Amino acid sequence: MTNLAGAAMARPRMTLSGGAPAPEWELPEIAPRIEIVPTRVQKRARPKIAYAAVVVTGVLAIVVTQLLLSIGLSDGAYEVSSLQQEQKELDRTNQVLSEQYDSLSSPQNLAASAESLGMVANSAPVYLRLSDGAVLGSPVAASAGTPTLTGGQTLIPNSLLAAPTAAADAAATTDAAAAAAAVSAPPVEPQSADVPWQGALPSPTTR
Amino acid sequence: MNAAARIHRSTKRRAAVAVAVVVAVVAVFIVRLVSIQIVQADELNAQSADKLSAQTSIYGLRGDIVDNDGTVLATTVLRYDVTASPVSVTDFDRTGDDGSTTTVTPTQAAAEIAAITGQTSDEVYGILTADPGSNHAYVVQGIDVDKFRAIRDLEIPWLYYESHPVRTYPNGAVAGSVVGFMGEDENGTAVGTAGVEQIENQCLTGTDGLETYQRGADGVAIPGSTETAVQAVQGGTAQLSIDSDLQWFSQQALVDRINETGAAWGTVVVQEVKTGKLLAVADYPSVDPNNVDATPDSERGSIAFQSPFEPGSTFKALTAASVLEAGAADVGTQVEAPYIFTDANGASTRDSEFHVDPLRLTFAGVMQESSNTGFGMLGERLSSEQRYDFMQKFHMTEPSEVGFPAESGGILAPWQDWDDQTNLTTTFGQGVSTTAIQIASLYQTIGNGGVRLPVSLVQGCQAADGTVTDAPATDGQQIVSSKTATDVVNMLETVVTGGYASADLEIPGYRVAAKTGTAQMSDGSGAYGDSYITSVAGLAPAEDPQYVVSVTIAKPVTIESALAAAPVFQKIMSQVLKQNRVLPSTEPGPDLPTTY
Repeated sequence: MTNLAGAAMARPRMTLSGGAPAPEWELPEIAPRIEIVPTRVQKRARPKIAYAAVVVTGVLAIVVTQLLLSIGLSDGAYEVSSLQQEQKELDRTNQVLSEQYDSLSSPQNLAASAESLGMVANSAPVYLRLSDGAVLGSPVAASAGTPTLTGGQTLIPNSLLAAPTAAADAAATTDAAAAAAAVSAPPVEPQSADVPWQGALPSPTTR
Repeated sequence: MNAAARIHRSTKRRAAVAVAVVVAVVAVFIVRLVSIQIVQADELNAQSADKLSAQTSIYGLRGDIVDNDGTVLATTVLRYDVTASPVSVTDFDRTGDDGSTTTVTPTQAAAEIAAITGQTSDEVYGILTADPGSNHAYVVQGIDVDKFRAIRDLEIPWLYYESHPVRTYPNGAVAGSVVGFMGEDENGTAVGTAGVEQIENQCLTGTDGLETYQRGADGVAIPGSTETAVQAVQGGTAQLSIDSDLQWFSQQALVDRINETGAAWGTVVVQEVKTGKLLAVADYPSVDPNNVDATPDSERGSIAFQSPFEPGSTFKALTAASVLEAGAADVGTQVEAPYIFTDANGASTRDSEFHVDPLRLTFAGVMQESSNTGFGMLGERLSSEQRYDFMQKFHMTEPSEVGFPAESGGILAPWQDWDDQTNLTTTFGQGVSTTAIQIASLYQTIGNGGVRLPVSLVQGCQAADGTVTDAPATDGQQIVSSKTATDVVNMLETVVTGGYASADLEIPGYRVAAKTGTAQMSDGSGAYGDSYITSVAGLAPAEDPQYVVSVTIAKPVTIESALAAAPVFQKIMSQVLKQNRVLPSTEPGPDLPTTY
């Protein structure tokens, strides 16, 4: 195809040089230097390599960007998926901890814990008024013989607290040990924090 | 030229062949295109949708019920079901941390599962092998997160997991009868069937959402394919006026005393005088909503709201307020109260303690002595209609504003239907039935200068979008004058300072106004039996009442007077005053004269 085109292109040149040789000039070897000089308009209209380069680069850039974008997107999809999974797990952990917190902070459990620490309720409330330092009410210390709040009996059932005292004891022992460790001046035996249980062992009342 | 022509022809031929090939190929493509895009389109689309599309439901969980400081009384948690596909139960390989591979047989796997769930390994193995052709069998249902995670970490390939929401009540029976519990409606949907769960069912209920998306080969959602078909709406949070610590204390004190006295049932109501809010509503027997089945059906409700009883002497505060308000007597009005009083209609009543000579009492003294004859005499200074009107004004004939499920409004016949005996006995709280809530509300009115505030339990329900519904009404209603109310409080104070239960009612440092009651209970056949309802209702501090405590204990065996209820009143009122930092009284009481 290229050869054919070349031959066809050559033909007009041959007729031109054969049909109208220049008689005055004796320069047979030198090919005539006549050229069609493109007009400004033609020059401008001629495709420029720069344009082609811009277009090709542009297309390439778009393709590459598109590729990167898809990679980014699918990467993101996996990240989203793994983060969602993580969130699910964290939600579960959150649920476990809130359940634990709610059960431990239930009044039944708090009362049992307080009693296992040997705490009793003082029925004589006394107030200190900050404005003038007045003591309102007559302060009476609760004696060791004061009955505990519940008498060691959990009368209000809570089936979520299967073993309230076990958990409370563990927490109490840990707390007491921590407290003992924090206060170093008076050497407190960790064992002394365990108050011997008085009265019947607490047990859920079945009804 | 010949060669050129030959080349020309060959070129033409080649071009023709090329065109033909291209046309053929294009034709094949077009046929295939039509076949795929049009002929098989539906089938292929369906196949691809099967492989690609997935949907997840997003829980719109039922909202919490919280107390006045946000302590959770009811909440929703997720529990897990573990299912197996028995048809694919086989040995599987497990890769240890060190990279070694061990083969686990179904028997071993069953033992591992059983160790976590607490079943026996035979039990689990039995479930797995019961129907080897089946695709679905529940290994264990409703386990918590810890157990679920432990089982999941076994990495058994033929196990599947499902989660479902479950209602839980962290405080157990604390306010159990008030909070209520869940049941099913006729469609099998979980709904609140008692207490606040029922009152606020609509606001608490959430709406499950649905998301559809397309997933890749590994199950990950294809970006941009997620569509929300139904938006999940979380349930609202209902806040109660209940103080869970005080509620527990009240229940504990009540049950303790009921066990001590061998009583059948009891209730405690604590109400804030200045707001009408119920701080505690304790019932015994009461349900633990976590384990509803453990309580007989008849004992799952709230006695305070649902069971009216003849209040007895605590009702005398209403008669006193009516008589004073009508101007028929004042606190110093003197009467000679005989042991037996027979009125103009021939109806008669007697005092609880025998006395030969008539007691020379002032109106305050009649209150202090709780003289039935005295109240009959003074009460009948008003007509039946007048007294009935006051009872109506004090809301003794209608349920409270709480709107508790199956709440009772008491039992009181219209005055026209009263027989002569009822006409007399209603002056001292027999022949009329009220709920514990109505009695508490009566004392609230008297403590609040005669202004009755709506009784409120639910303080509002906050939906997920922040809107609050069901906020209680707060507009008060002046029932009697402030002077009358103060007079009645002063009269009630004489009961605590000098009545027979004085030692059990007094709270050191505080002025307390209270009334004891020992009402005969109906034996169920129209006559009075030999069991009693003992009660105390009162206010403190008397100079500016802040709190109402009303205690009712029915059928005590060891003590058959209000002394059964009085220590509970004292204990709970002390706790209420202490917990709410009410300062001790500084001025002495008026100490009204009771005799002359």
